Amino acid sequence: MQYIIVGLGGQGILFTSRVLGKIALKRGENTIGSEEHGMAQRGGSVISHFKIGPYKSPLISVGDADILLAFDQNEGIRNLHFLNDGGHSVINVHKREAFQNENLKKYLTKRNISTFLLNGYEILDKHMGGNYLFLNVLILGAMSALGIGGICFEEIEEAVSSLSPVKFREDNLRALELGRSVAHGS
Amino acid sequence: MAIEKAVLLGNEAIARSVVEAGCEVACAYPGTPSSEILPGIAKFADSLGIKMAVEWATNEKVAFEVAAAASFTGKRSCVAMKHVGLNVAADPFTSLAHFDIEGGLLLIVADDPGHHSSQTEQDSRLFGLFAKIPVFDPSSAREAMEMVKDAYELSEKYHILVMLRPTVRVDHCRQDVEYSEPIKLERSAKFAKDPKRWNCLPANVKINHPRLNQKMDAIRQDFTESFSKYNYEVPAQEEAKLGIIAGGISFAVVMDLLSKMGRKDISVLKIGTPHPLPVDLVTDFIARHKNVLILEETYPVIELQVPDRTNVKGRWNGYVPRAGELVPEVVEEIIHKALGEDFSRPVDEDLKKAIEELKITPKPPMLCPGCPHRASLFAIRKAFPDGIYPSDIGCYTLGVNQKAIDSSICMGASVTQSSGFYLAHKIDGKLRPIIATIGDSTFFHMGLPGLVNAVYNKHAFVLAILDNRITAMTGGQPHPGTGEKLRKGETGRVVPIEGAVRGCGVKFVRTVESYDINKNVEILKEAWEYAKDREEPAVVIFTHPCMLLRQEQPKILVRVNDDTCIGCKFCINFFNCPGLAFDEGSKKAFMDERFCIGCGVCTNVCPHGAIEVISEEGR
Repeated sequence: MQYIIVGLGGQGILFTSRVLGKIALKRGENTIGSEEHGMAQRGGSVISHFKIGPYKSPLISVGDADILLAFDQNEGIRNLHFLNDGGHSVINVHKREAFQNENLKKYLTKRNISTFLLNGYEILDKHMGGNYLFLNVLILGAMSALGIGGICFEEIEEAVSSLSPVKFREDNLRALELGRSVAHGS
Repeated sequence: MAIEKAVLLGNEAIARSVVEAGCEVACAYPGTPSSEILPGIAKFADSLGIKMAVEWATNEKVAFEVAAAASFTGKRSCVAMKHVGLNVAADPFTSLAHFDIEGGLLLIVADDPGHHSSQTEQDSRLFGLFAKIPVFDPSSAREAMEMVKDAYELSEKYHILVMLRPTVRVDHCRQDVEYSEPIKLERSAKFAKDPKRWNCLPANVKINHPRLNQKMDAIRQDFTESFSKYNYEVPAQEEAKLGIIAGGISFAVVMDLLSKMGRKDISVLKIGTPHPLPVDLVTDFIARHKNVLILEETYPVIELQVPDRTNVKGRWNGYVPRAGELVPEVVEEIIHKALGEDFSRPVDEDLKKAIEELKITPKPPMLCPGCPHRASLFAIRKAFPDGIYPSDIGCYTLGVNQKAIDSSICMGASVTQSSGFYLAHKIDGKLRPIIATIGDSTFFHMGLPGLVNAVYNKHAFVLAILDNRITAMTGGQPHPGTGEKLRKGETGRVVPIEGAVRGCGVKFVRTVESYDINKNVEILKEAWEYAKDREEPAVVIFTHPCMLLRQEQPKILVRVNDDTCIGCKFCINFFNCPGLAFDEGSKKAFMDERFCIGCGVCTNVCPHGAIEVISEEGR
């Protein structure tokens, strides 16, 4: 399984790959991925690669990823080419109308790529006092409910719970549940 | 006992192994992609109850020399830095190669192919060749852990400094690894006085240099005969059409690609010890293949050491790009080219068009919302629209987005460039205001010698020291100005920046709050007048804590008044905050509430007064 996680520096991408790492460790599977630290974290485009299985290189080739998790819609669209045919994506959108673009629709249909769009900002404004720190966990929750990515909700819940700093644990778990219910209700 | 496993960042894995190897003194200066190594060492040493000295040094040269002397006493020591840090430490590095050291001394240099967070793509393995020291080049976090231990063994066997050269994809990979029990060396510090051994006197070079050459010969033989775990062949399953020699992460990339492509006609020779190169292994491999390709990052270090490159494809004959990272897409193309096969990656026109139509571009890094540097840089530009702005290495280099940074070279060069700009203009008798910016940690790193030079030689400029109480760009390490040390709760002595500046002989020193743009414009003007009149540097210390420190501060809600905003983009071009965006439809600026943190600084920015306060809390 190969995951690409994209967004902007400061959106909690690194925490997400730690969660995936924890899950793979629990399962006893080999895992390797690549993260970005330093300059890239200052609000700019950030991409993490994550692979579970017998891989040697931390990098995913264009066209090979099974899952794309995008914390920002522009970063999501920009990195769709990483997905394989039939790949799945979960994208945090702030301007949903972009997905009405004809060329984009054609591309997604042609390659049979599924997109689950959620407005994480709106959801977090409504349910979590507008704290966007929980965007990452929200998206993980949605991924698990969609039955994509090969990871079940309980695995994510356990990993998030053990990796969260105490003061964020409860809120992280709430956001995770929120993500699940949004995807279920879709 | 069951083997304990963990999924770690590459740098944490390296750190764990340094502790397991019995290292007792570790030093570093932070720099991406190396910064997580030293905190990792402290974390593992503490959790294992191992007594270790682990310290941030003021720069890489300092760190190197601290670790070197610890090795003179017989202790195992370690120093970590990024590739350009080794430029700073090049003096002790090259000298120390000649020494017959005592305790194992490990130099970890993190290279950055693809220049993710660096000003060069230099290859530290070549530096190893230059200084004549052995180099290990790991292809994964797991392999780096093993190499750390072998590096210490080798270092003590030959009494020589050893380099581990991980690249960014090893440092910042996340991989499952296994822990081992730390070895217990139980050595006490014993410095045996021996003037010939411990002094770099010219007279000793006659003995030391030939001895170093002998060490290289012996290590080359060792690497050829006894290091098959790092240097080995993965033979093709069918007759080989191509032989690839690969080092470091390129090996991992090649192996994943060959398995994906299902190729059985390519054999691979992995080289984990690129210097001194096990030449016999390489020439034997080349002799058995008509067509050979060398893949390594980022300089042709293995390639240069190959005696006969007639059948070899690499950088020397243009098969491998001479710049940039060897990511899988690039390597796939090179392999096909080396095989003489047609290959072109299909570009999907639909997605390309969609991205164009939606105007989506990669988002460059920016200073954080609320960052004090943004306010300081804005004030500098406002005070001296015609000034020259030399700068330095840190978050504030992103001030180029605000047109408030004109030049930056390397750590500390803001101060020294100011001297050069001053002298060049002074000769013509036409001065221009020169306002340099340097961070707090960078000032301690290499700003001080330049400032002493400027005071001594009487150079007129204004030095703005941007004190945000942290080494920010590398993730938030403490520095002498804060007095905090690497381990939480362990305190050092504060070295106040203002005191240090006065100690250098600077007479005009003002400490200001970074957010007070209008007040600071006046102080900067005063500073330049003083500097110009007296022919000496003037210093303004801008203080406000970094946003990463998340300290409480008043929250000021602001909005852009649509009626007043004329769409001139002044705020976008010269303030450049993620919280301020521009709507191309209405041609007006607006607050992007996803990012605005309510620092309120932008209310001083709009020349038309279009940015207004809605409400204030906590003020």
